[in-house]
Amino acid sequence: MEVKKDILWRIYLAFLLICVMGLAIIVQIVRIQFVQGDEWRAKQDSMTLSFEPIEASRGNIFSDDGSLLATSVPIYDIRFDTRATAVTDEVFNAGVDSLAQALAALFKDKSWQDYHHEIKEARAERNRYYLLQRNVSFSELQQLKKFPILRMGRNKGGLIVDEKNMRQLSFGHLASRTIGTVRDIKPVGVEASFNSDLQGVGGQRLMQRISGNVKMPVRDKDEVEPRDGNDLMTTLDINIQDVAEHSLEQHLREHNADHGCAVLMEVSTGAIKAIANLSRNKDGDYVENFNYAIAEASEPGSTFKLASLMAAFEDGLVDLNDSINVGNGTSVYFGKKMEDAHPPKSPKLSVQQAFESSSNVGISRVIYQRYLKNPEAFISRLKSFGLSEKLGLQIEGEGQPFIKSVTDKSWSGLSLPWISIGYESKLTPLQTLTFYNAVANNGRMVRPMFVSKVLNHGKVIREFSTQVIRDSIASPQVLAKAHTMLEGVVQHGTASMLNKSPYKIAGKTGTAQIFNNKYGYDKEHMTYQASFVGYFPADKPKYSCIVVVYAPSNDVYYGGAVAAPIFKEIADKVYSNHLDMNESPSHTDSLILSNPLVKAGQQKDLHKVLGKLNLSAASENPDAYWVSVDSRADQMKANERKTIVGLVPNVVGMGLKDALYLLENAGLNVQINGKGWVTRQSIQAGTKIRRGQQIQIELS
Amino acid sequence: MQATWLDKYFKGDRTIWLIVFILSIFSLLAVYSSTGTLAYKFKSGNTEYYLMKHLSILVLGLGLMYAAHAIKYTYYSRFSTIALILSLPLLILTLVNGTNLNEASRWITLPGMNITFQTSDFAKLALIMFVARMLSKKQDEIKSFKSAFLPIVLPVLGVCALILPANFSTAAVLFISCCFLMFIGRINMKYILGLGGIAIICFGLFVVTMLAIGKTGRIDTWKARIERFTSDDNQDNYQTDQAKIAIAGGGLFGRFPGNSKARNYLPHPYSDFIYAIIVEEYGLIGGILIIFLYIWLFFRVIRFIHHSPMAFGTLLAIGCAFSLVFQAMINMAVAVNLFPVTGQPLPMLSMGGTSIWFTSISIGVVLSVSRQVEKEKKEGGQELAAA
Repeated sequence: MEVKKDILWRIYLAFLLICVMGLAIIVQIVRIQFVQGDEWRAKQDSMTLSFEPIEASRGNIFSDDGSLLATSVPIYDIRFDTRATAVTDEVFNAGVDSLAQALAALFKDKSWQDYHHEIKEARAERNRYYLLQRNVSFSELQQLKKFPILRMGRNKGGLIVDEKNMRQLSFGHLASRTIGTVRDIKPVGVEASFNSDLQGVGGQRLMQRISGNVKMPVRDKDEVEPRDGNDLMTTLDINIQDVAEHSLEQHLREHNADHGCAVLMEVSTGAIKAIANLSRNKDGDYVENFNYAIAEASEPGSTFKLASLMAAFEDGLVDLNDSINVGNGTSVYFGKKMEDAHPPKSPKLSVQQAFESSSNVGISRVIYQRYLKNPEAFISRLKSFGLSEKLGLQIEGEGQPFIKSVTDKSWSGLSLPWISIGYESKLTPLQTLTFYNAVANNGRMVRPMFVSKVLNHGKVIREFSTQVIRDSIASPQVLAKAHTMLEGVVQHGTASMLNKSPYKIAGKTGTAQIFNNKYGYDKEHMTYQASFVGYFPADKPKYSCIVVVYAPSNDVYYGGAVAAPIFKEIADKVYSNHLDMNESPSHTDSLILSNPLVKAGQQKDLHKVLGKLNLSAASENPDAYWVSVDSRADQMKANERKTIVGLVPNVVGMGLKDALYLLENAGLNVQINGKGWVTRQSIQAGTKIRRGQQIQIELS
Repeated sequence: MQATWLDKYFKGDRTIWLIVFILSIFSLLAVYSSTGTLAYKFKSGNTEYYLMKHLSILVLGLGLMYAAHAIKYTYYSRFSTIALILSLPLLILTLVNGTNLNEASRWITLPGMNITFQTSDFAKLALIMFVARMLSKKQDEIKSFKSAFLPIVLPVLGVCALILPANFSTAAVLFISCCFLMFIGRINMKYILGLGGIAIICFGLFVVTMLAIGKTGRIDTWKARIERFTSDDNQDNYQTDQAKIAIAGGGLFGRFPGNSKARNYLPHPYSDFIYAIIVEEYGLIGGILIIFLYIWLFFRVIRFIHHSPMAFGTLLAIGCAFSLVFQAMINMAVAVNLFPVTGQPLPMLSMGGTSIWFTSISIGVVLSVSRQVEKEKKEGGQELAAA
């Protein structure tokens, strides 16, 4: 019992200790709450802690081969703390003249006296956040950091740099309207439609205000890490896009046209390979500022005649060789005269001839006679081609197509003949193209596609496959007739200038008179829309293309003369770029015989690898460290690649490891896109290096 | 009696069960309120994730407690030796290749189960049980240095030394708990005081050697923490300032559950500083209630121990209860800035699986002793009635 008592008093002692600790804690809480309470509560109020959003880096947009179309680059707003610690009167007065001169020389927007005056004034006002310049580039910032006063740095010299992101289109205005933007009042294009993919998820960081406008992160890591936006792989081919845009611009200028567009589409997939939209601005320059191809629905004109005749073929009402009386090329419907652009070759034409020569009278008579009793049949046939429905594009802003119904209030006796030649209806260029594409694709109508993949750090997270709108718009017989007519247009019709091509083109010209809001269809003030739509190679269609030029104000306004040449320039480029179109017989043989393609790299590695493969390469200079390999000849040749200190090295053809090694050793900040070997470097080899400068390399 | 099923299944001191239940509810509420930042950081704002995770940890903890209380406490005597032997290689393994959290390797991942596991919690419980066992066994020659003090103190020093490099505060709290347990178990006071002196000297030497060989490990953190505590430089004292702001903001009745402001600014509001959040949300009243609950728990243990005939039972229950309540006091003392910042969780309240589970088990052990005491009392009573 003694033992138990002995243990018990010790336990009570422990209990007492615990109680004392508990009491001490309570006393301390009371002290904090009631004695120092006001102080701490005040501290909470004055604590300028806030969660600051962190912008997620926006995804890139790539062309079909992985070239960078749109990316975000940092730009900076530069401010000056005129009362920074080391900016004493002495320092300021000694440096302000040269600082103003340096700023004026760099930005060239104000005279140095203006800079001088404003900076002095800012200091007099004790401005600690004076805006020196907005939207300064990285390289300008590097120079700025060397300027008098500012070169003392953030705390001493008062240089405040606020980073922002700016969207940059790598290829200037190429397809800029289709790539789009979200910064405009009305966001457009891929950027807008895929914004939720591109923008990523912003993060948050707990920041504490230290002094003035300077905030410091409270913890090392962000509270919520931003998640980078996804990248988009578009279907655009930048080379063809380039040709489309330049060719379009050149011809628009030549014809002094108001605006125009050109779209190239892959027949089987609906992939849009190029889409150019240009319009004349006040200064007379042509710029991309509206996506006509997608958004502008207008009367299609003669290109619509294909749909009219296909309707009649499908209903079995007419055939290619049926003859039509066109007389002298004029016809009067209910007192309204319809004229052919050129007088017909003979008063009687076959249906095919009428189509090839784009005879308004011929086509309208066929349709008028055959469908007079039952115009609904004609309209419903047109609608069965999918012409009255929106395509449902990946990009928003598609124009609403319009095929007039018989029940429409404005339907009149004139409607049937005029609809048959492409009036009283509305289609966007892309809708017309999609219809022609379906004809080329053996009746299968596919949805035009702009974006093929959504990627996250190179990993495909979503892939868009070709979507079929209509499995078959017409029977095979009708399609065969359509093909014959479209080929005929080029062979001996209104587009015969396209006949001299190494590959066959099929298509249709179109010339529409544009209803003018002020003058109607008045001759004096007539504006025209010249177009050409078709596909090539005609016997095995791979691409379809439409070119529309609006209101060419010079005399020549026919589709064949204005739009067809642009079509040809684009088609020629595609033809020369895509070897698969002109089948080369020795294609497979050459692969087996030729030497392997070898990456550029270190010479000793090269010889080691080739040795293992029982191959060899002749060295230009056996002592050279870096070489590139020419595999074209029978005997491979290793050519020296000189690297000169201070100049950007040539890394094209190298693997990533070697390229990174060389560029980073040279003091460059490397941004990598794609994988494989380097196909492009953003700064040309041999350019003088500025340390820390950014270089982008693309691999594929 | 009304609640016969309670009698049947929940043996031992019913009040302790109640205290644990109240603490669990506080734990659930406070953790849910304070994991907002964590949820935004890792679970894209899905705050229910941590609520459900914590709830399942608590439920499992209660299950472990139930299981532990159902085992007759004398088994723990034998079990303690095995557990202690098992804990040594585990501690070494943790030191060598543990998961690095806050630069301290305190965790190992159990193979196959993918659960991170704080080995020191296991070793702590094993050691307390072992010391209780040894003390009760050696009661006859308890004042002896060689046959009582040494066999007890050597395992204590061994385990503490293995925990020390990764987690100073756990080692220190455990060491102090063991010293108290030895004191209660009637070990000669001279030896215990001497041991305390030696421990301080050893620790000093350890720090000096580590600094000398340049492998500072956690020492930088300790140094910084102690410096911060002793100096008045509030600029660096972010954690404790935030904790004080939280406490001051609570006032008498608190901001009410879920309205904490400091949780966004206070690091680890769900573990190390959960007490500050509780005071902020439930006020001084809530803060006192929590302290009272721990003291009450200890008091209940002392109460049933009065009737305990066995030295081992007494020492086992007191050992478990004391180390738990002592750690709780240390945690709260840190939260109110009476003590330099340590990494001790608040038992039964802080988020964290291992801590809650081993706390649950140790309460289960306490309940097991209490169950036995009640049983013997009842049998004694029956005998008395029969006589």
